[in-house]
Amino acid sequence: MGLGAIVVVGPGAENASVLPGSFLARPLAYFEVLGRSTVERVIERFVRADVDIVTVLHAKADSGLKASFTAFENVEFQLANDIAAGMRQKLKEYSENGIDHSFLVLGNVYAETDLLDLYYFHREARQAATRAMDREGVLDLWVLDCAKAKDQRIDPQHLREWKTSHTSYFIREYVNRLTDPRDLRRFASDLLRGRCSAPPPGREVKRGIWIDEGAEVHRRARLVAPAYIGRGSEIMEDTLVTRFSNIEKDCCVNYGTVIEDSSILQGTEIGICLDVCHAVANGNKLLKLDRNVVIEITDTNVMRPNGQVAGQGKDRKWARNVLMFGGRKQRQPPISDLQPADSAPKQRGLLANFI
Amino acid sequence: MSSKSPVIVMEAPEKWNHSEAQAFLAELQPLLQSDRPRVVLDCSQVQHMDSAGIEMLLNCMAEAMKRDGDIKLASLSPASAAILELMRVDRLFEVFDTSEEAVRSFQAVALPDAPPSLPWYSAGYGLADLKSAS
Repeated sequence: MGLGAIVVVGPGAENASVLPGSFLARPLAYFEVLGRSTVERVIERFVRADVDIVTVLHAKADSGLKASFTAFENVEFQLANDIAAGMRQKLKEYSENGIDHSFLVLGNVYAETDLLDLYYFHREARQAATRAMDREGVLDLWVLDCAKAKDQRIDPQHLREWKTSHTSYFIREYVNRLTDPRDLRRFASDLLRGRCSAPPPGREVKRGIWIDEGAEVHRRARLVAPAYIGRGSEIMEDTLVTRFSNIEKDCCVNYGTVIEDSSILQGTEIGICLDVCHAVANGNKLLKLDRNVVIEITDTNVMRPNGQVAGQGKDRKWARNVLMFGGRKQRQPPISDLQPADSAPKQRGLLANFI
Repeated sequence: MSSKSPVIVMEAPEKWNHSEAQAFLAELQPLLQSDRPRVVLDCSQVQHMDSAGIEMLLNCMAEAMKRDGDIKLASLSPASAAILELMRVDRLFEVFDTSEEAVRSFQAVALPDAPPSLPWYSAGYGLADLKSAS
């Protein structure tokens, strides 16, 4: 009697809420929070629960995501043009290969429940499906009887509306639905506060401060616990990272900037002397959680995706050489970076497009 | 542009970029040259803001402060407010929900002119007064 798991990610599987503007180009499940994407965390939980096979079904190919699964055994990665057909096919295959029951996770639900307990509950209930729920309502986490479910109408929308012939399993442990970029912020904060069982990765250099491998923190930067600095990130002098903030991998926070109660998603570079508070930053977009607004910044001196180099130089310390805005102290640029004198003031714009 | 007694209310341009900021500054400059200029910038129309606009705002504030005046902001959209906060400019200005509130705030804090003879820390008593009291 085998046990399988199907994790459905990508467009069609997410029960995403609407944000002003397209803040995230990829599904939330792909974004790393404290060094690991949600989908990786979900898969790891299935692997630890001794599930025989885990299938990741998703609607859009992502080579980076596929590469991150190679570390797991018994995990197969499958691209499906039609999610519903892919799910039915997989349940049929499971049934034919002696796997009687399967977990099914739609979207980005992260639940720290005892999966085996959920499975035993489902078996004892003798129903075609068991759906997990928590205090806030039903979750997109199911256990299905493969033989019975393969003949049912299985697609994400129908499953969500499926009200009959299934039992409910109540989860008391930590749950994050991750339907919104705000949930990424909450997830990071919860991980740092220890509300989840998963500890932050990397080395805890001081109580509550985790620094992952390859990260560089300037000796004059101040990190206030709890905080997380991701792999290969760079925190420059006179910066402040405080109040449950996380800087994901390959980010750069430049001179004098304050990161407070914020998540800087992977590959984001933040310019000098800025205040990033109560926000999620992704490339050149900033979601202000307190104001519920997304702003897109086209001035690469302020914020940009990693690797998008402003001006001539390819030095990561670009922003140190940028003149600061009026009324504040100016850092003298090196001679080579000085622009020819011009009587007309130049536009060195923030160029923020309000979305 | 509308004027309410000594407080001037000006509508900020829709696109607060370099060229618009220049035109706006040209309009605002004569007002800033007056004694104790009190200006309210109504930002309800602002749809786009860049660093040139912010720089102009800071320059105007510096000019107003030189003449013992002030500039206050009103009707900021959430996006404008987020930009100002990101650039650490928001804390330099008083921000109000409406222009009327901003105007009222100027009138509420109108202080009488201090006599120029007294130092700022003086309580109004001289040394002779203190000696006679003891």
